[in-house]
Amino acid sequence: MSHAATAHDHDHDHHDHKPPFFQRWFMSTNHKDIGTLYLIFSLAMLFIGGAMALVIRAELWQPGLQFVDPHFFNQMTTVHALVMVFGAVMPGFVGFANWMIPLMVGAPDMALPRMNNWSFWILPFAFTILLSSFFVPGGAPASGWTLYAPLTIQGGMSVDMGIVAIHMMGISSIMGAINVIVTVLNMRAPGMTLMKMPMFVWTWLITAFLLIAVMPVFAGAVTMLLTDRHFGTAFFNPAGGGDPVLYQHIFWFFGHPEVYIMILPAFGIISHIIPTFARKPLFGYSSMVFATAAIAFLSFIVWAHHMFTVGMPLQGELFFMYATMLISVPTGVKVFNWVTTMWRGSMTFETPMLYAIGVVFLFTLGGLSGLMLAITPADFQYHDTYFVVAHFHYVLFSGAVMAMMGGAFFWLPKWTGHMYNETLGKIHFWLTAIFFNITFFPQHFLGLAGMPRRYADYPVQFTEFNQISSFGAFGLGLSQILFVYIIVATVRGGKKATAEVWEKPEGLEWTVPSPAPFHTFDEPPVVK
Amino acid sequence: MIFLRIKILIGVPLIMVLSRHIKSFAKISAFGSFLAAALFSGLAQAEYRLNFQDPVTEVARDIFGLHMLIFWICVVIFVLVFGVMFYSIFAHRKSKNYEPSQFSHSTSVEIVWTIVPFLILVVMAVPATQVLIKMEDTTKSDLTIKITGYQWKWGYEYLDSGINFYSTLSTPREQIDQFDKENAVEPGENYLLETDNVLVVPSGKKVRALITANDVIHAWWIPAFGTKKDAIPGYINELWFNVDVGKEGIYRGQCAELCGKDHAYMPIVVKVVTSAEFDSWVAAGGNFDTSPLASEETIQGAGKDVNPTTAALTQEIVAEPISSSSVIDALVPVANAADEASAKTWTEDELMAKGEKVSAMCSACHGATGKGIPGVFPAIAGSAVATGPIDDHINIVLYGKPGTAMAAFAAQLSDEDVAAVLTYQRNSFGNDTGDIVLPADVKAKRN
Repeated sequence: MSHAATAHDHDHDHHDHKPPFFQRWFMSTNHKDIGTLYLIFSLAMLFIGGAMALVIRAELWQPGLQFVDPHFFNQMTTVHALVMVFGAVMPGFVGFANWMIPLMVGAPDMALPRMNNWSFWILPFAFTILLSSFFVPGGAPASGWTLYAPLTIQGGMSVDMGIVAIHMMGISSIMGAINVIVTVLNMRAPGMTLMKMPMFVWTWLITAFLLIAVMPVFAGAVTMLLTDRHFGTAFFNPAGGGDPVLYQHIFWFFGHPEVYIMILPAFGIISHIIPTFARKPLFGYSSMVFATAAIAFLSFIVWAHHMFTVGMPLQGELFFMYATMLISVPTGVKVFNWVTTMWRGSMTFETPMLYAIGVVFLFTLGGLSGLMLAITPADFQYHDTYFVVAHFHYVLFSGAVMAMMGGAFFWLPKWTGHMYNETLGKIHFWLTAIFFNITFFPQHFLGLAGMPRRYADYPVQFTEFNQISSFGAFGLGLSQILFVYIIVATVRGGKKATAEVWEKPEGLEWTVPSPAPFHTFDEPPVVK
Repeated sequence: MIFLRIKILIGVPLIMVLSRHIKSFAKISAFGSFLAAALFSGLAQAEYRLNFQDPVTEVARDIFGLHMLIFWICVVIFVLVFGVMFYSIFAHRKSKNYEPSQFSHSTSVEIVWTIVPFLILVVMAVPATQVLIKMEDTTKSDLTIKITGYQWKWGYEYLDSGINFYSTLSTPREQIDQFDKENAVEPGENYLLETDNVLVVPSGKKVRALITANDVIHAWWIPAFGTKKDAIPGYINELWFNVDVGKEGIYRGQCAELCGKDHAYMPIVVKVVTSAEFDSWVAAGGNFDTSPLASEETIQGAGKDVNPTTAALTQEIVAEPISSSSVIDALVPVANAADEASAKTWTEDELMAKGEKVSAMCSACHGATGKGIPGVFPAIAGSAVATGPIDDHINIVLYGKPGTAMAAFAAQLSDEDVAAVLTYQRNSFGNDTGDIVLPADVKAKRN
């Protein structure tokens, strides 16, 4: 392998020789530093998107308009979602992939380090464009993160800025995905066959293929929007004979696999944490791999369940209902596997394990409300209500985001060389989990009782649950300051971490010292 | 108030425990108690729901049954799976010196937990399919109504009788705008769920609705009927409902697809009456004043109202001295209106007074003070259109501006409405053209 040769050429380099500040953080080709940059970026976006969520929750504290007008409210819901999906969750998982995949497969770096640098550095510019759209006349995009035509065609110049930003995010994601695929397929340590790969690597490999398959579809959809807006085409504009429903089909053909792009790496992280703290191998490794692949395949044929109310033919509705229900089979297999991994283990409950258990519990709750949403006749009632809002926050916050938090506590000692403060970590878990449920559980009731989503103002009978939800949201937001404090404190000091960190954990990443040296696996390890 | 108790049960002890152990939580605790107090006071007149509204059609009842069936299946699965998990968490822990077993797969177990969920899905899919087939069968209807979504109101047209009108939010602006606490008014009981005109339908009849939109996508939703369908420009969607005899009353719903700024302000109100009452309402040309619906006894006699404020709302409908122009459109045939308009001589004061009322339609986007929202909705105050040539102004109001949110109002506004509103706009918001636009001017510009 050419990379092994390169590593030998640089033998005179000390393992921990790091370039000066500017070169190190702005021109880096080191997978660990780029991973750190991705993770910091993701955390910053979590706070920006979270601040927007708090504006939403403040306005929804009581009926009537108290703080913002409905147009600004719509900007908040739209950009909150875009920032969280494309700024916090996706880059967060790419950060984990950058840090952990080379360490897990025994590779010295990602296969394409310069592209790695580029794919990160596109993001700050993309989000500068997106967020600066608040300051152009008319404000930021306000048509929902789904950007449905023809509402988007009415929007101001911020829509065009959003489209450019989405193109850049897409390029970044695709490059990140290419890097993961090439690294995983070419740079595994000798002896590591595909079916010996750690689960996180498997889930990311499949995620990367999903990304390459669907990001160009989204790019195509928003490009057609752009030409409808400015160049007189009528793909989606009904005034020119275009078809608004076509946009929704294309969007959700991207949008549904996107949901799994955001959750499969989380499944991977959970599959590392639970065996470690149960002191027992992951149950049903091969069925985990097949279940992940099955979920990825099914994710391509269920998209129209997001749009049951557009008036599809009966046959279409039946097909998408059945296909959607099927997804619960492989997802169920995963949940059963995690629970069985815990069964007759010897469990301890450090912060990462608390997060993992929280994710399995709360994600499954969101999965079951998803099964309810799959039932087409009932979905006609749930659709576009707060029931849906509750559902996807259960899978995306208590699924994806909390899995990342658990993963951060799990690998933080490996990244920094210090143990985090266990007491504070546990407090952070309980604050997050409790406030999360206070925020989102009442939204199930709101949705069932009939409160539509994306409403700046609501009838009086929804007041009580909205107040509980807003109270929880502010608690949830404030609790995350503790998360930042713990991370900063761990970076700056704390008890020295051993190479293994935890009790006999599985995986190559635990064979290198903590903190992981600047360059690792110059000599590929041999996996038996 | 179960949830309040739950909140206190969970929240207060948590805050207390935390503040006892960690000093820095003292402040948060104080903040929490403040919020708890605020929450408590706000709950004084609670009227919340945990589940669907009471269904009043067969389909809505089927959906409710399906929803509860699947809910309970999910609850059972959830309790079983996590019962096992929490038992394991309790029993198999290192602190109890539990020796970890090292098993890592079992083909038979894995086959079982793939097949059993599949069978549960089949159990769910069978009734779901039956209900869906029933919902999508819009044949053999007794009555067809065309529903059109606009930014931000609904238009209704009874295809069998030709009655047509628009339905806009009637909640006063003072209740909505709470920015300025001094002038704000407490939201009323049907806040955001009340409209100037209501859709009237008979009970015990299969009502088919054809749904479309004029500008962007909306969705027409009455929860108690179990119906929701997107209103999409360029498409005509269908739905049907058949309200049980004996369930006459007022039913309320809201737009359920993001349609821009005033998405939350285009409710749907449906008044279900007996078949006989409906027939006489139609015979009276949909006029609330001359049909039997006008008498309060009829409403109260029905006595089946699901909502205690029905009587109040009905009174509002009946007593309404036709406050908005859309009511005129609804109740008076357009031809008559045109004749009247041409026959009548309009003074500037009359046009200005009428124009101020009609301009409520414009202020949804262009703002009550004509300032608009820069970059999204242009201002009327000082604009080139409202201070330039009158013909251009008439054209843009009648035919809209393609590619923007500016809709064509030719079908919604009569000549006199347009004339009045243009006169008003050209002499308000600081605009000082001195122009008077007459209905005849508008008529001349119609195709």
